[in-house]
Amino acid sequence: MGLLEPTREAFALLFRGDPELLQIIWLSLWLSIAAIALIAPPAIALGVLLAKRRFPGQRTLVVLAQALLSFPTVVIGLVIYLLLSRRGPLGSFELLFSPTAIVIGYMVIAFPILVVFTVSAVQGADPRVFETARSLGASRMRAALTILWEVRFGITAAIVNAFGRVVSEVGCAIMVGGNIAGLTRNMPTAIALETSKGDFAQGIALGMVLMAIALGINVVMALLQGEGGLK
Amino acid sequence: MSQVLLAAEGLQRRLGGRRVLDGISLNLERGQGYVLSGDNGSGKSTLLRVLAGLEAADAGVLRFQGEQTQLPRYPDSWRPRAVYVHQHPYLFHTSVAGNIAYGLKARGEPRERWLHKVEEAMDWAGVREVAAVPPQKLSGGEKQRVAMARAKVLTPELLLLDEPTANLDAEGRRRVMDLLARLYAEGVSVLIACHDRELIELPGVQRLHLENGKLS
Ligand SMILES: Nc1ncnc2c1ncn2[C@@H]1O[C@H](COP(=O)(O)OP(=O)(O)O)[C@@H](O)[C@H]1O
Ligand SMILES: [Mg+2]
Repeated sequence: MGLLEPTREAFALLFRGDPELLQIIWLSLWLSIAAIALIAPPAIALGVLLAKRRFPGQRTLVVLAQALLSFPTVVIGLVIYLLLSRRGPLGSFELLFSPTAIVIGYMVIAFPILVVFTVSAVQGADPRVFETARSLGASRMRAALTILWEVRFGITAAIVNAFGRVVSEVGCAIMVGGNIAGLTRNMPTAIALETSKGDFAQGIALGMVLMAIALGINVVMALLQGEGGLK
Repeated sequence: MSQVLLAAEGLQRRLGGRRVLDGISLNLERGQGYVLSGDNGSGKSTLLRVLAGLEAADAGVLRFQGEQTQLPRYPDSWRPRAVYVHQHPYLFHTSVAGNIAYGLKARGEPRERWLHKVEEAMDWAGVREVAAVPPQKLSGGEKQRVAMARAKVLTPELLLLDEPTANLDAEGRRRVMDLLARLYAEGVSVLIACHDRELIELPGVQRLHLENGKLS
């Protein structure tokens, strides 16, 4: 079969605002945003702590976070699957194949990205920021928040990056979400599984949306790097 | 005899295998000005930073207004009373006014109280003309004056200024010197590090010289 017809259909779906398509896009974005919003505060706080404080095991934690960055998301999905499955230790919550399970997976995937980016942003901050804040009477907490403000482009980059990673990942979302229509079917799982059933048009339409998001993220990152370079 | 504001005894600091501060003791009096001279690398910044609680000393005792501490412990409550200003001050990425308000906000002062103080401090330092300029775009002298206003607005008892006129042109230096003289006249104790003995001329200023980890 030719590519032309499904592509035409894909555009039709997009411009018509096909409800099923919109539902999938909406769910994808919503689950990703929820996961990032929940995990960003603790991850950023840990990043600041790892960057500023010297304590035993601190290096190990940073190396561990860096190692987690390259962890295959399907394996993260597998681990969460085992934990949430009926016989697993968290089975009684009956979360497997629910949107909550996907959010948990996304949080696990985003966590090391946010931590590692925050550590490098805070370590890259001018040491005079903390000293100036402290000398002017700021508490350690307030001085740490001032550092975050001064490196806000780096922190935003961390968040944008983490969002980009979770919104497009397939492995974990399929494992723990199960691609249930209207409940856990998001853009990447729909592309992966619906295409194999022969629904090319939807796959192409969602693929274009994901590409647009990826492009948008790259543009934002380039702009942030430009802003950061101003300093 | 004037009242001792800050007394230091037996300050020790080793850096890179060298005794940068080798048992330094000094008394800083209320309302007195001090110029601390010494070659590059003699430890002037280290001494100022230890007195401001920004750098740990290996040993030593500090007394600030009757309150005493064994270093490296340094009470948080002392910091905004003995403010350190970097040789190249760091201005936060907000407005000039936001920078000057920083310590007042950290102290928890309500906006209606600090707003007026910030205005006054901007006039004092002569930075109102540049209030709309992003702080990172200011000249070295303007940055220095904003940093001095940011410290002065907290009404500290002691200002520790690290080579405030280094790398400034004649006009920039004149304006910073003018502020120093006024601080001094207002009864704030100032300790100014500077590697040129002749540079800082203030009436009745006491001169200290740092060499081989000792004061003379
Ligand atoms: N973090 C550090 N580690 C090792 N040596 C340092 C460190 N900071 C400063 N020094 C050394 O301590 C000495 C004193 O430095 P400093 O107080 O900055 O001198 P000054 O302000 O008089 O130029 C210098 O020899 C400097 O190289
Ligand atoms: Mg110095």
